[in-house]
Amino acid sequence: MSFKTTAGITVGKLGNLAISLIAKNRGTNWAGETAMRIDPELIAHIKGIDADKVIFITGTDGKSTVTNLVAHILRYNGFSVVSNLEGANLTTGVATSLLKASSLGGNVKADYFVFETDERYLYQIREQLPCNNLIVTNILKDQMQRNGDPDYIYRKIRRVIEKFGMNVFLNGDEPRSCSLADYAPKTVFYGAEKHSQAFRKDDTFVTLPCPKCQCSIKFDYYNNDSLGSFHCDKCGYTNNNGNLKEGRRRQADYRSTNADFAARTFRINGTEYTMPYDPPHMLYNYAAATAACKEIAGLTEAQCAEALKSFKLLAGRIESVTYKGRHIKFMRFKQENPETFQNFINTIAADKEDKVVIIGLDTVNDIDPFYMNTFYAFDCDYSQLIRSNVKRFYFVTDTVAYDAANCFMYGGVDPSRVDIIPTGDEEEILDIIEDCGYTNIYLAVTLHKFEIIQEMVRKGK
Amino acid sequence: MEDNNKKNKNRKDTQLLTVEDIIREEGARDEKNKTRIISMLKPEIDIAWMYPDTLYLHGDRGNVMALVRYAQNLGLVPKVHRIDLGSGDFNPLDYDILFYGPGEISSFEAVMKDIGTYTRSLAEYVAYGKVMLVTGTTMAMFGERIRRFDPDSANGLGETIDGLCMIPAISEEREYVYGNDLDIRAEYGGYSMELIGTQIQMADVEFYENTNYSRFGSVIYGRGNNGQDGIDGVVYNNAIFTNLLGPVLVANPWLAVTMLKTAADLKGIEIPNDNPDYELEVKSFRLKKQFVEDKM
Repeated sequence: MSFKTTAGITVGKLGNLAISLIAKNRGTNWAGETAMRIDPELIAHIKGIDADKVIFITGTDGKSTVTNLVAHILRYNGFSVVSNLEGANLTTGVATSLLKASSLGGNVKADYFVFETDERYLYQIREQLPCNNLIVTNILKDQMQRNGDPDYIYRKIRRVIEKFGMNVFLNGDEPRSCSLADYAPKTVFYGAEKHSQAFRKDDTFVTLPCPKCQCSIKFDYYNNDSLGSFHCDKCGYTNNNGNLKEGRRRQADYRSTNADFAARTFRINGTEYTMPYDPPHMLYNYAAATAACKEIAGLTEAQCAEALKSFKLLAGRIESVTYKGRHIKFMRFKQENPETFQNFINTIAADKEDKVVIIGLDTVNDIDPFYMNTFYAFDCDYSQLIRSNVKRFYFVTDTVAYDAANCFMYGGVDPSRVDIIPTGDEEEILDIIEDCGYTNIYLAVTLHKFEIIQEMVRKGK
Repeated sequence: MEDNNKKNKNRKDTQLLTVEDIIREEGARDEKNKTRIISMLKPEIDIAWMYPDTLYLHGDRGNVMALVRYAQNLGLVPKVHRIDLGSGDFNPLDYDILFYGPGEISSFEAVMKDIGTYTRSLAEYVAYGKVMLVTGTTMAMFGERIRRFDPDSANGLGETIDGLCMIPAISEEREYVYGNDLDIRAEYGGYSMELIGTQIQMADVEFYENTNYSRFGSVIYGRGNNGQDGIDGVVYNNAIFTNLLGPVLVANPWLAVTMLKTAADLKGIEIPNDNPDYELEVKSFRLKKQFVEDKM
C-alpha cells in the first residue's frame, strides 16, 4: 500500500472519529472527501471486496429506501453489511462508509456491501469500486437543473452497465429503466400487480417516449405515477401479458401481489409479507429488495418477509406536529420531481376529512444559480384532490406563490377556495395555520422550512 | 382531444353544409369571403399539440392549457388535437397553431422522420405566417445539425445528426446541463413584451446570418442561445423558436394572447372579446422579476 493511501485512510478514519464525537448525524461526506484529496483513488485501494457481494442502488426515486431495505434484510438474517444508509451517495460518501469499516491497512471485512449511488456519479464510483450488481429503481423526471432530462441519466446508467457488464435488477413497470435489460448480461425484473389504489390519467396528460421507437407509451393503469402496465402500439414494447409481441415481454420475476392496504399485507411469489409502510410505491421497493436478497445472498422470500416486520425508515414519509390544536402533517416531496409531488397529492386526496392544504413550492436552492421552477406541477393530476374535501388552499413563498396557485387552478381547483400569500416568513405560515379554522392541515414546504416551523412550534412559536 | 383523422372528417361533414347555406344566403362568391363567413359563425382555433408523449418534458402541457384558457377568454373556440408520432396524414395547414414542446435529443431522429412526411407543407405553413411555437432543446432539431456529446471520445465530440434545416442554426450538446431563469424582451406580432421563464439547456445553439430570420428575444437575464450573444431564439414570420420552456404561456399569457390574435387574424376571425384577464399573472411576474433582479 502506498504512503498516499495509508495517509488518506488514516486521515479519513480520524475524521470519522472526530465527526462521531462532535455531531453523529453530520459530515457523511467529509471524511471521505478529505481522504480522497490525499488519495484520489482511495476506494480502489481498499482491499477485501468481492464484486459479487457488492450491490449498487441507483435511480430517481426510492434508492435510499431500497438501500435501507436491502441492508436491513441482510443484517436481520445475520450478515454483516457495509452501507451508506445516511444517503451520502456520491463518491466521497461511499469512501466515508468504507473508511468506517476498514482497518488502517485498508482491509475491509463484510459479507455484503450495499451502496446507494447517485445516478450521475455511478460511473466514477464503479471505476474504483468493483461491483457486479446494480438495482435501478426507476428513471424519471427529476432535478432538471442537474439532470436535464431522463435520457441524460439513462445514458449514464447504460454506459456503466455496458462498460462493466453489470447484472441488473430492473423495475418491470417503468418503461424506460426496464429497457436497460438490452445492455446487461443478466436481468432480474421486479414489479407489482395492479392494486386497489391504481389509477388512470386521461390523454391531456403526457406519458413518455417509448425507449425502443420513441412513439407514445400508453399506460393501461398506473400503480404509482409513472409505474404500471404499459405498452407501445407502434413497436409492441410492453410489460402487459395481454398485449405481447414475441421477444418484447417484460415479465417481473419478483412481483408484489395481493396488496391489501387495510390489512397491510401483500405477497411475493406466494409468501405473505406485512407492509411496514403502506404507500403504494413501497410495493416496488419491497419487491426490489427481495429480488436482490434472494438472487445475491440466497435468502428465501420467507426470510425477507420476516425481516421486513422490524424495518424502520430513517425518516418517516409523513411527520406530524401539533400546534394550538392544529394537526400539521408535513410530507416530504422533492421539488423538480412530478412523481413525488403526485404522491403527495394522492396522499392528501386519500384523506376524505375536511382539511386545509398549504403549498409552499419554492425556488430551487440546490446548486448555483438558484432558480424558479414550478413547471413539474403541471404534470400532476389534481382531480382526486379536488374531490377530497379540501376547504381552503393557501399558497405561500415570496417568489412563486402565484405560479403555484395558478397551476392548481389550471388543474381544476376552484379559485374561490384559494388564498395566495406571497411570504417566505415561517411565522406568517403559523399564523395561517392558527387562523384557518380547521384542525386537519397538510403542509408542503421545503424540508428546511418545515424544520424551522417545527422548532418554532416546539418553542411555542 | 380529437383524433386527427376524425377531426378532419367531422369538419368536412359539418362545415361544407353550413358554408353552402351561407353562400346562398349572403351571395358570397369568393374563397376569402367564404373563409370569413365560416370564421364569423364559428370562431374556432385549431391547436395541434405535436407529439405530446415524445416532446414531453417540463410540464409543457401547460402551454396548451394556456392557449385554451385565453382563447376562451377572447371569445374564441379552441380545439386541441393531439398529434402522436406515426399517426400519419398530418397536414399542418389544417391547423392554426402548432406547438412543439421540449424533448430529448435521443428522440429527435424519430420525430424528424415523421416531420419529413410533411416538411413541404410545414414550410408553407411558416411561410404563410401561421403561428408556431417551439420550446427548449427541440429548437435544435429545426436547425442544420446537432453535434452530440460523447463521454467516451477523447474530445467529447460524438455523432452529428442532420436537422430539418428550417432555421439557420447549429447546435452542440452540452456535457453538463445548464438550468436557470431566463428573462427576455421579445418582439412578436408587432408587440414588444417581457417574458420570464425557465431555461434547461441541453445544447448550445449558434445562429448564422440569415436576413429572413430575426432574434426572438434579447436576453435581460440568463443564458439564451449560448450565453454570449445576448440573444434568445429566433423568429421567422410568426414561428417562434425559444429556449424558454415549461408552461411559458401560463406565466406570460400576453404571448399566448398575441399568438391567438395572430392566428385569428390570419383566419379572418374578429376577436369577440378583446379583454384578457392577466391580473394573477402580472402579480406573479412582479415577484419573479424581483427574484431575477436580485440575482443580477
